[in-house]
Amino acid sequence: MTVSGLQGKLSSTCPKTCPILPNLQKSKSKACCKRKTENKHPGCDRRPPASANTTYQDPPPKSRTIKMSTAVRGKLPWPLKMSYDKQDTLLKLFVLSIAAVLSFSTRLFSVLRFESVIHEFDPYFNYRTTWFLTEEGFYSFHNWFDDRAWYPLGRIIGGTIYPGLMVTSATLYHVLHFFNITIDIRNVCVFLAPLFSSLTTLVTYHLTKELKDVSSGLVAAAMIAAVPGYISRSVAGSYDNEGIAIFCMLLTYLLWIKAVKTGSLFWGAMCALAYFYMVSSWGGYVFLINLIPLHVLALMATGRFSHRIYVAYSAVYSLGTLLSMQISFVGFQPVQSSEHMAALGVFGLCQIHSFIDYLRAKLSKEYFEILFRTMALFVGTAVTGVGAVLMASGSILQLRCLNVSEHQPTTWSSFYCDLQMLVFMFPVGLYYCFCRLTDANIFIVIYGITSIYFAGVMVRLMLVLAPVMCILSGIGVSGILSTYMKNLDISKVQKKTKKTENYPIKNEVASVVIMMMSLFLITYTFHCTWVTSEAYSSPSIVLSARGGDGSRIIFDDFREAYYWLRHNTPEDAKVMSWWDYGYQITAMANRTILVDNNTWNNTHISRVGQAMASSEEHAYEIMRELDVNYVLVIFGGLTGYSSD
Amino acid sequence: MNRVGYELVIFGALLASCCTANQGALGGDLVNTAVNRQIDLTSQLAKFTTTITLENAGKTATTSFVLAIDPSLRDRLSFIGATTKDDDAEKLPVTQTTVPGRTTDILFRVDLPKALGAGQSTTVNVEESYTHAQTPFPAQITQAEDQLVLFKGNLHFYSPYKTQSETTTVKLASSKVESHTKTKAKVEDSSIVYGPFENVEPFSQEKLQVHYENNTPFLAVSSLVRVIEVSHWGNIAVEETYDVRHSGARLKGSFSRYDYQRQLDGRSSVKSFKTILPAAARDVYYRDEIGNISTSNLNEQDDAVELELRPRFPLFGGWKTHYYIGYNLPSYEYLYNSGDEYALQMRFVDHVYDDQVIDDITVKIILPEGSKNVDLSVPFPVDRHPDELHFTYLDTFGRPVVVAHKSNLVEQHIQDFTLRYSFQKLLLLQEPLLVVFAFYILFFTVIVYVRLDFAISKDEASESRMRMQGLLDQLQAAQDKRTSLYQRYEDAIAKFKSTKDLAGFTGSRKKIDAEHKELSSTIKELQGKLKLESTDVAEKVGELQKLDTNLKEQIGLSITLAEKVVAGKMGKQQYVDNEKVYSAKREDIMGKTETLLSTL
Repeated sequence: MTVSGLQGKLSSTCPKTCPILPNLQKSKSKACCKRKTENKHPGCDRRPPASANTTYQDPPPKSRTIKMSTAVRGKLPWPLKMSYDKQDTLLKLFVLSIAAVLSFSTRLFSVLRFESVIHEFDPYFNYRTTWFLTEEGFYSFHNWFDDRAWYPLGRIIGGTIYPGLMVTSATLYHVLHFFNITIDIRNVCVFLAPLFSSLTTLVTYHLTKELKDVSSGLVAAAMIAAVPGYISRSVAGSYDNEGIAIFCMLLTYLLWIKAVKTGSLFWGAMCALAYFYMVSSWGGYVFLINLIPLHVLALMATGRFSHRIYVAYSAVYSLGTLLSMQISFVGFQPVQSSEHMAALGVFGLCQIHSFIDYLRAKLSKEYFEILFRTMALFVGTAVTGVGAVLMASGSILQLRCLNVSEHQPTTWSSFYCDLQMLVFMFPVGLYYCFCRLTDANIFIVIYGITSIYFAGVMVRLMLVLAPVMCILSGIGVSGILSTYMKNLDISKVQKKTKKTENYPIKNEVASVVIMMMSLFLITYTFHCTWVTSEAYSSPSIVLSARGGDGSRIIFDDFREAYYWLRHNTPEDAKVMSWWDYGYQITAMANRTILVDNNTWNNTHISRVGQAMASSEEHAYEIMRELDVNYVLVIFGGLTGYSSD
Repeated sequence: MNRVGYELVIFGALLASCCTANQGALGGDLVNTAVNRQIDLTSQLAKFTTTITLENAGKTATTSFVLAIDPSLRDRLSFIGATTKDDDAEKLPVTQTTVPGRTTDILFRVDLPKALGAGQSTTVNVEESYTHAQTPFPAQITQAEDQLVLFKGNLHFYSPYKTQSETTTVKLASSKVESHTKTKAKVEDSSIVYGPFENVEPFSQEKLQVHYENNTPFLAVSSLVRVIEVSHWGNIAVEETYDVRHSGARLKGSFSRYDYQRQLDGRSSVKSFKTILPAAARDVYYRDEIGNISTSNLNEQDDAVELELRPRFPLFGGWKTHYYIGYNLPSYEYLYNSGDEYALQMRFVDHVYDDQVIDDITVKIILPEGSKNVDLSVPFPVDRHPDELHFTYLDTFGRPVVVAHKSNLVEQHIQDFTLRYSFQKLLLLQEPLLVVFAFYILFFTVIVYVRLDFAISKDEASESRMRMQGLLDQLQAAQDKRTSLYQRYEDAIAKFKSTKDLAGFTGSRKKIDAEHKELSSTIKELQGKLKLESTDVAEKVGELQKLDTNLKEQIGLSITLAEKVVAGKMGKQQYVDNEKVYSAKREDIMGKTETLLSTL
C-alpha cells in the first residue's frame, strides 16, 4: 500500500515543474488543454441538418472543430477550468497532503503487524509519565517524586525530564476528550510520532520553500516523508522525545529563516517560542542554540550582517534563553554551561558589530580609525574568547554517556541504509545553494556540514542529519529536474520551427537525465519502504518468528513476566533486574524497581550488577541488603534467545 | 418479559433481609416419603439435584411447600430452582420466605402447579448450586502435587418435614478419595452412596465430609463488568472486563516453566479456557492493560463463536489476572421496536467458561443519546444503581447508562434481560447533522478567510490584477457567446437555403443581429473598464472588436450571396465557389481571434 502510494506521489511531483516556469508553461498548457478537449468532445460538433433536396455542400468539418473549441471551453473538466493560480495551489495541496499521509502511513508497519503498542524501553517511561500527567494534572506531575524507581533513592521526575512530549500528548488527549472523542491515552502516545512526522513534512516544505523555491519544497517534503533515518525514531509506538523534537527543530529553523529574511520582531519572537518548545522536548536543543549563532557568525564573516539579522538574533537569543530557563531540567544552564556560551558570545558580538556600524555612520573617517584601533584590542580578545568557547562546545553532543550502542560512530553502510540516494544528492543541493548564495542558504549549508560531522561521530545523531539531507537533496533534485525539463520541452517546440540549439542532442540528454532521476527516486521509495518494514518496525517487546510450517510464532514472554508481576505480587514489592528492563517494569508491571534506563547512579547499578554476578549465597546477602523481593532475569538457554 | 412472576431464583445472602413480607407457615403436615439426592462434585461447584416425593398427610389441601437450605452451606447458595417431575421445562415459582420460630434458617416457598389434596402425593425436582463449597486441603500445594479438596455438608436432606426414606449419592471428580464419612457409605468407583436412611426427623443434621482429589480448574471471576453499548445504526458493542483468580490450593514454592512445559504437572492449573460468544459476534478482541494477548484462538461455529482464551501465564492457585474481551453484534438480533418504543433483549451474563463462578457482575447498558422512559426487567433480582451519563464520539448531552449489579452467579443465570425505552427516531439524525454543521463552519471560515481581505494596508497591484482577471473572464464569456452566434448565422443560412423561407430567415437573422449587437456593446463596456487597468489589454480588445466587425461583414456577404442564390439570381456553381472564398476568410478571422484571445 505504502509503496504504491509512494510511486503515486512521485509521479505527481513531476508535473509540478509547471509552477516553476509559469511563463513558459502557461500558453503551452492552455493550447494543450484545448487540443485535448477537442478530441474529447467530438459530439459537440453540431452539424446543420443535412437535407436531401439541397445540393449545397456543407463546409468541411475541420473548420468546424476549430470554431467549436472556443464554444467548448465551458465544458472543460473542472480542474482545468480554474485559473492557473488555483490549479497551482491545488497541485501543491495535493502533493503535500499525499506526502503527509504517506509519512503517517509508512510508520504503521508495526501496528499492522503486531498491535498498537509502545515500543522499546524509553518510550515506556514516557508513556508512564504521560499517563501520570493526564491522570494527576500538571502540578503534581511537576512535583512528582517517583518512589517506584531507584529504590530506595527515588527519582525526581518533574525536574529530570523534558516535559514537552508528555505535555503535547496530554494536551492532545484532553482536547480530544473535550470533544468527546474517547481515545485511549496509549493510542495517543502510539500515534503521536507519526502525526508529528506528518507535520514535519509540512514544515520541511515551508522551510525549503523559504530557502529555495516551491518545487524544491515539495520534493523535500516528499523525501522527508519516507527517509529511514527519521523513520527509525518515529514509527508508531516509538514514543520518544525525538518523535516531536525533529518537528520542533525544523519549525524553529523555519521561523529563524523567516526572521532573518524579514528582520521582523514578530518572527523573532515566534522563533523563540518554537525554540522554547524544542527545549522542552529534547536535549538536542543544544545543537540548535549553537547552530543559529554559528549562522550569525558566518553572516558577519561574509559581510552580510545587517539590521535584520541584528533584530532577529537579539530577539531569538534573549527571549529564547529566558524561556528555555523555565524548563526545570534546563534551569540555569543557558547562562552557566559552556555549551551555551557560543550563543552568548555571538549575542555580545552582535551588539559590538552594530555599535561599530552605528559609529561608522556617525563619525568621520579619521576619528573612526582612531577609535577602531583602540577598540580592536578588546574586540579581538572577545572574539578569541568566543572562538575558544566554540571549540569547547564542538564536543557538546558526544560527551553524554557513551556506553550505549547508539552512541557509536556511524558506519558508511548505515549512512547508505538510512539515507540512500540522499547521500549523493546532498552535494548537488549544496552546489545549487552556492550558485545563488543568500542569507538563508548559508544557514542550510552550515546546518548540513555541522550535522554531517555530528552524525559521523554518533549513530544517534543521524536523526539530526536526515532532515537537512532531505532539504538539500530536494533542492538538488528539483534543480536538476527543472533544468532538464526545460530542455526537454524546448527541443520539442523547436523541432517544428527551425533548429537554433546551442548543443546537439539536447533533448536526448535531457530525457536520459530525467529518466535517471526518476529511476533514482523510485529506487529511493522502494529502499525506504524496505528499510522501514525490515529494520525499524519491530516493537522489540513482542518478537515474532516463522515456524517450521510457515506459521507465525509470537514470543510474548516479556509481557507475560511483567503482567504476572503486575497482578500476582504485593503492591509494594521491589523487583531487582538489570537496568534495561527498568522502565518496562515500572510501566507494565507497576512495581518498584532498583535501577532503570535513566542510568544516573552508577554505584547503584554496579551494586545490582554485583548481586547479579555473584554466587548465590553472596548475592542473597546483597539482595537482602537492597530489600529485594523479586528478581527478574531473562533466561533464553532453552529457546536459544540471548539472555542476561 | 413474561417470566418475571413465573420463575424465580433467589439468593440467600442477598435477600434474607428484604423478604420478610413473604411470611408463611410450613404448609401443614407434609411428609417427604422418598428423597433422592445427587451431590455433583465433579467440578468446582457443588450441584445438588434432589428428587422429593411429597405426601400430604394432613387434612387440608396445600398449594405450596417449603424448602430449607442447609445451614453449613447457607452462604454459598447461588441458585435454586424447582420443577415438577413430569415437566422439566415448567419451572415452579420459588420465593424466599420466613417462618416464625425458624428465623436462622433460609427457607424458600415453592408453589405447586395444583393444590395437593389430603393424602395425595407429588414428586418435585429441586436444583441447587453452591459456589466455593469445596475448600482445598491442604491449602498449599507444589507444582507437581495434585489438588485435594474437602467438601462438608449434611448427610441428611435438611427439610422442615419428616423424611421417611432418603439416599444421597456424591459424585466426585476422581476416584481418589482420601477420607469420607463412613456412615452407611458405599464407595463405587468415583461416587459414594449414603443411605438409605429411614424416618429422618425434620431439620436433622449430621456431618458429611469428603476429602478427595479434584483437579478441575477452580477458576473464579472475582469481578466482571459487562458494558453493552447500543447504537441505532445497527451495532451493539459488548465489552467485558474480567478479574479472574484461581481459587484452588495456593502454589507452594516456585513455578518452573521448564517442568511445566516438559511434564504433565501443574494439573490443577488453568492453562486456557473456552468462552462461548453469540454466533453473530464480530471483531472479537482479547486484551489487557499492556496490549493484545496474543495467545487466543477463535473458532466460528454454526451456533456460536468459540473463543479459546489463554491468559498470559498459566494460573496457579492464588494467581490472578485481568483482561477484557469485546465484540460487536448486529442490533437486529437483539433490538426490537415498534414506533419509538424499543426493547433490548440480551443476556444479563454470558458464558465465560463451563461451570463458571462469577462473584460479582456489573452490567452497564449504554443507550443512545436521548433515550427516555427506561425500564429494566431481569428474571432474577438485581441491584439497580442510579443511572449514569456516558460521553463518547459526537455526544452533546450524554448517553444514559443503566447500571445493574449482582453477586454470586453460575451458569443457570445465563438468562435474558429486557430493557424497554423510548427513543425518537429523528434524534438519529442529530449526530450526522452535527458533523455536517461542523464541516460547514470549517469551510465557511476558510471561504471567509480566503475571500475577504483582512489586511490593514491595501495591495494595489494584486487588487488590480484580480479585477482584471474578473473582467477578462467576463470578456471571455461574452466572446465565446458571440462566436457561437456565427454558428447560428450559418445554421440559419443553411436552413434558409433548404426551406427557402425568406420571412423566417429575416426574422431569425434579426434576432441574431440583436444579440450580436448586445454582446458587442457588452464587450465594448468591458474594454472601457479594462482600459483603467491596463491600456495594453484594452488595445487588444479593440483589435478583437475590429476582427469581429470583419467577421460580421463576411457573414453579411455570405447572407447576400445566399439570398441571391435562393432568389435564383446566381448559379449554384458560382455560389459554391464564392461561398468557399468567404468561408476561408471567416476561417482565417476566427483563427486570428483565437490567437488574440489566448494572449489575453
